[in-house]
Amino acid sequence: MKRILAVLLIVSLSFVVFAQGASEAPAKQQEIRVLLANHPYGELLKPLIPEFEAQSGIKVNYESLQESQLTQKLTTEFATGSSTVDVFMTRPLQEGLLFIKNGWYGSLAKYDFGDYPAASVDLGRKDGVPYIVPLVIEWQVMYYRKDLFKKAGVKVPTNFVELEAAAKALTKDGVAGFGSRGKGAAAVTQISSFIYNFGGNYLENNVAVFDSPEALEGFRYYGRLLGNYGPQGIASMSWENLMPVFQAGKLAMWTDASVFLGQVVDPTKTNIPAEDIGVAQLPAGPNGDSPFIVTSWGMAMSSKSKNPDAALQFLNWATSKELAVKGMLANIPMSRDSAWANDTVRKNMNAELIATQAHAAKNGYPLDRPFMSAVGQARDLIGEVIVEAIDTKGTSTRLPALATEKAKAVNELLKADGEYGGK
Amino acid sequence: MKNSLKFRVGFPLLIVAIVIPMIFPFIWMFMSAFKTQVDIISWPPKFLFSPTLVNFNKVFNEQNFLLYLKNSIIVGVAAVFVSLLLGLPAAYSIARFKQKRLSMMILVARLMPGISFLMPWYIVFSRLGLMDSYTALILSHILIALPVVVWIMSSYFESVPMEMEESAMVDGATQQRAFVSIILPLSVPGIVTATTLSFIFSWNNFMFSQVLSMEKTRTLPIAVYNFMSYAEVDWGGVMAATVAIMTPAIILTMVFQKYVVKGLTMGAVKG
Repeated sequence: MKRILAVLLIVSLSFVVFAQGASEAPAKQQEIRVLLANHPYGELLKPLIPEFEAQSGIKVNYESLQESQLTQKLTTEFATGSSTVDVFMTRPLQEGLLFIKNGWYGSLAKYDFGDYPAASVDLGRKDGVPYIVPLVIEWQVMYYRKDLFKKAGVKVPTNFVELEAAAKALTKDGVAGFGSRGKGAAAVTQISSFIYNFGGNYLENNVAVFDSPEALEGFRYYGRLLGNYGPQGIASMSWENLMPVFQAGKLAMWTDASVFLGQVVDPTKTNIPAEDIGVAQLPAGPNGDSPFIVTSWGMAMSSKSKNPDAALQFLNWATSKELAVKGMLANIPMSRDSAWANDTVRKNMNAELIATQAHAAKNGYPLDRPFMSAVGQARDLIGEVIVEAIDTKGTSTRLPALATEKAKAVNELLKADGEYGGK
Repeated sequence: MKNSLKFRVGFPLLIVAIVIPMIFPFIWMFMSAFKTQVDIISWPPKFLFSPTLVNFNKVFNEQNFLLYLKNSIIVGVAAVFVSLLLGLPAAYSIARFKQKRLSMMILVARLMPGISFLMPWYIVFSRLGLMDSYTALILSHILIALPVVVWIMSSYFESVPMEMEESAMVDGATQQRAFVSIILPLSVPGIVTATTLSFIFSWNNFMFSQVLSMEKTRTLPIAVYNFMSYAEVDWGGVMAATVAIMTPAIILTMVFQKYVVKGLTMGAVKG
């Protein structure tokens, strides 16, 4: 009897609690919730948000999170169907497909995409409906030490043969000749351009093809360069480990995304005088000259937004031409074409960087990773192939078998998500 | 043997050899908190450098660190308080009435991966309009603190001789009265241990706070990530923030460790 009473008591108590929740009034009008990433563009927006609030009368509650936290938070909120987010920053290549498939992005059919490269918009499009506004781009470049090149009498390499020779010549006196990410999953994006330049790819028509002879050559070459001329412990290094090595002057060449230039030349963060640091395009390979150039960040609306009009108004403001120019002047490479055409911008930006962007925009490939829903797992699988290549300095005899095994596993992932083969 | 020369020289050396690898990361962290970014990345590492307070300035002036500190304290103290309120009687009952199954269930709640609670919690809290409130965070942190309290205290209560309670009851006290007036005061050392441990677990918790808190209720461990952004890590800021977060936890442990040890040597058996 006591037990029944206790259960009844608990049930009745919880009713009271839930009833309270249900009677809560809906969100006040014209108030939106925005999730930003800890990203320079987010930093740029934050102090300007009060201006937007004054202008539009919309109250903006924003929060700023580190990117993996942001993804986790968005996923939790959307998956439970109780999200209160209206507008958020998003990584199209990392989470775009999954979010689109789950119907988490709101349609942006009303947004004007005229000022964006078509390819960048298409990545966030499904069945003709666009879902992501491209915000920030990045492409692969090669940072190098002009002073060390001069001292060793080496010219900036323009193809992979010269690159290897230069790496060899520059590896001395405790300085590593060449560095790029070696840590499995993190390296997937940086090795991509090498694989493209050998004529390979990760996926073709949504089938894993990174076990092709061309791709394997890419893995081997990358492994050979890093294994022989990379800094110690390269197989566990990502950008956050490599950048300090370069800034400390212990690395002669470093290939990674363009976003790092600002920090590499910042005198409060680096030991190397800015005039000794050069930026060049990635050398061409035997079968191609296509560095990746990708939309690393975009902005989107939630399909569950209770205030879609206010959300769209905020989105229009946050991705406007004026702010894009401001972003460019703060060294953030923006997606908008008009921002690159702006005269003030061109005058103020690093000329070498502009040249690499022009090259990448013309020849580059718009993906730096397998474009699929299970991209995280696929990166882990490909990462194992990369680490094997580096550990053996590119000589591994089991590399083809390993790549085939991992390609099969990636195909299984594609099949599980219903994405295998064709569009 | 204890006074042999070998022992007198060898033992301290052994201690140093064991302690240095353990404490080195902390020393490194502490030093880095006072370094500029250039000094942090320089190779070979610098052990002599001119210290700077830039990083701490960033932590306390540019970031809203005092707010996060306040949040962490409120959540930790409240969660531990509620856990003691519920956990002490529960532990007593488990110890006295051998409710092994109940204690297993509480342990299972602790052993289950925390993430499996997050989704249901998120749904419930957001429907209740409790997101970004202390209530939600405190409730979630009780899950961390309560099992610790129950498990430490139930074994502690078991070690308190039954006779003491019985003699109180012979003198006319109810079992509840015996628990409050006799058992609890005897168990202070155990309570202190449970409190310290559960507070530190709550203080360090990352996952629950990450999903259930927002700007206003963000706790310290989440705030460390404010120094890590896309393609940039402010190591000095991270280190300074970590030092600021760890200091209270370390002080707490150091102060109460003495107390716990003293309490244990006094021993309840003597009574």
